[in-house]
Amino acid sequence: MNAREVAIATSITLMIVLLAYVIEAGGLGPIAPEKLRELAASYIISTYNPWNITHSAQSLEAVTAIVWDYRGLDTFFETSVLFISIVGVALLFRGYREKTGVGGRGLSEIVKTSTKILAPLILIAGISIAIHGHLTPGGGFQGGSFIAVLLVLLSVVFSLDFVVERGLSTSRLLTLRSIGLMGVFATSIALLLVGLVTGVSAYVFQNMVREGAPVSMPPWFLDRPTGGTLLFFNVFEALAVATGLSLAFIVLSLRREEVEEALERGEWYE
Amino acid sequence: MELVPVAIAALSALLSVVATYLAVRSRDMLSAAVFSAAQSTAYALIYYVLMAPDIVLVYVPVSVGILPAVTVLLIKKTERYER
Repeated sequence: MNAREVAIATSITLMIVLLAYVIEAGGLGPIAPEKLRELAASYIISTYNPWNITHSAQSLEAVTAIVWDYRGLDTFFETSVLFISIVGVALLFRGYREKTGVGGRGLSEIVKTSTKILAPLILIAGISIAIHGHLTPGGGFQGGSFIAVLLVLLSVVFSLDFVVERGLSTSRLLTLRSIGLMGVFATSIALLLVGLVTGVSAYVFQNMVREGAPVSMPPWFLDRPTGGTLLFFNVFEALAVATGLSLAFIVLSLRREEVEEALERGEWYE
Repeated sequence: MELVPVAIAALSALLSVVATYLAVRSRDMLSAAVFSAAQSTAYALIYYVLMAPDIVLVYVPVSVGILPAVTVLLIKKTERYER
């Protein structure tokens, strides 16, 4: 064992010990400032405040409350931008046809077995992050990208044929993507429609009761807070992001035999 | 022990600089993609230390999972070595 190996071993051990400390400390108090600015303080006070519901989002997580309630319109357009870019990717390859049996059948048995163990864990972590977005760090985009990573992993390790044979063809992914986006849209105008039907005034992107707008999303499910619209937004956003990102990956990874027609059509346009 | 988080952030920042340099200098695009993923990992650690777990949860799957995957796909469809 020479000096170089000792140095490498020491630095790896040091890194692991420091990381263990950081994770154990869970968030690290010392870096957090003790004095908050007024804006931050007002968000922390109003995020979950059952005594002042007209200013509250009834969500235990401030970031999700800001992303989907206080600044919901921004996030809606971010989702739309992602949707448009994925439609652009699909449009670039228009005319492709998915075929099975043109590529390999995935990686070795060892990789497949370890992926079989990992896959349910990643799926459960993604779903949990998405539906607990209003309680713990995370939310729809985070959970959705976890699930997208799972689909990418499956399409690499078990081959594209495996994913398509299990019913996740690109057209179905695009349908699910659209359902997710429509769900986000429907959630954002749900209370407005309720207000129109019952004859009281309501806002677009309204979550809890506001001054002059007495309609509200259910803030509790049994004994658990739901954050009103936040739960629905997170679930639909997770669906849209998971299917959208994996759709883009699958379209980009199509084999030559599948895009021949699209290539010919491109030449014909030229 | 207040120094530990700062030390972790500093180490991660140093690691990311090294990884970025290697990614830029590398002539092999595949190893450049791996170095870029290493740089993203270091950034994810910095975000965690700076108490932004929401960003970590979106940064890890996107820039360590999906972005290298797409880059490797592009390398497979074009050329692996820079001339």
